[in-house]
Amino acid sequence: MPPWSTAAPAISAAFFASLVEVVEAFTIVLAVATLRGWRPAALGTAGGLGVLACIVLLLGPVLDRIPITSLQLGIGILLLLFGMGWLRKASLRAAGIIPLHDEDAIFAAEAAELSEYRRGHSESLNWIAGVTALKAVLLEGLEVVFIVIAVGAGRGLLVPAGLGALAACALVLTAGVLAHRPLSRVPENSLKFGVGVMLSAFGVFWTGEGLGIAWPGQDLALLLFATLFLGAGLIGSAFARRLSVEFA
Amino acid sequence: MTMLKELAAELIGMFFAEKWLTVAVLGLIAVTGSLVDFTGVDRLVAGAFLLLGSLLLLVASVCHAARPRTH
Repeated sequence: MPPWSTAAPAISAAFFASLVEVVEAFTIVLAVATLRGWRPAALGTAGGLGVLACIVLLLGPVLDRIPITSLQLGIGILLLLFGMGWLRKASLRAAGIIPLHDEDAIFAAEAAELSEYRRGHSESLNWIAGVTALKAVLLEGLEVVFIVIAVGAGRGLLVPAGLGALAACALVLTAGVLAHRPLSRVPENSLKFGVGVMLSAFGVFWTGEGLGIAWPGQDLALLLFATLFLGAGLIGSAFARRLSVEFA
Repeated sequence: MTMLKELAAELIGMFFAEKWLTVAVLGLIAVTGSLVDFTGVDRLVAGAFLLLGSLLLLVASVCHAARPRTH
């Protein structure tokens, strides 16, 4: 088992990133279930999870064949691009430049779209509803799969990272079934900000290691990187807020 | 077919959503790699360059997006 200083950031990144994505997928699955019942929603969800499982099963053996430094460099670059993209968007949302993700609005829009379709195509609506659920699970799940593989593959942490993601799924499903409404109270942007910070830190760490840079303090350097990215995100957000006020 | 297209768009969007930031980060990594491989610069200095460069690019990208478009 790798040291806790390595495992904790990987597990928590997988958990919180999955939490954000699963909440988004759950909103759409719930809209499908509310309008057409749980059967198409459950079938679509199962189909989406099945495709994701196939992707993981296909990717797993391929990753094992790649030399570790190339794997670290490749995953590090993708993590840096992905993490900084999330962090940038979260900073802009925190500054009020782009609107926050609104689960209630997404639920209403999805429900309206399915209701509109119901008028003329009642026969095929179950099929459409199932495909809608499948697509939501597949598209949001892709990001979860990438994050689990990215934070887990470099250090043999695939299983702990996967368990972190599964724990997030279980938590969202339990909360969703109990609440039976979109989970709009989840502080999605704060979570995205935090996950963006962690993924960017992992990105710099893996990219550096892939290029042959031995970071001082080894895994503990991740904590320093995360702190610096958190600071940069907050500074960027503050500057953006000031800029938007100046130009308003 | 439509779903495959959406899947491909999602995958591309995951990493290349913001063109300017993507190009800048890839450029930063290329320069860091060149520093490590082709110059006598200490690897830790190259690492610091990568880290600080990423932080600066993040702040610059957020500020860039906050400025009003002139066109």
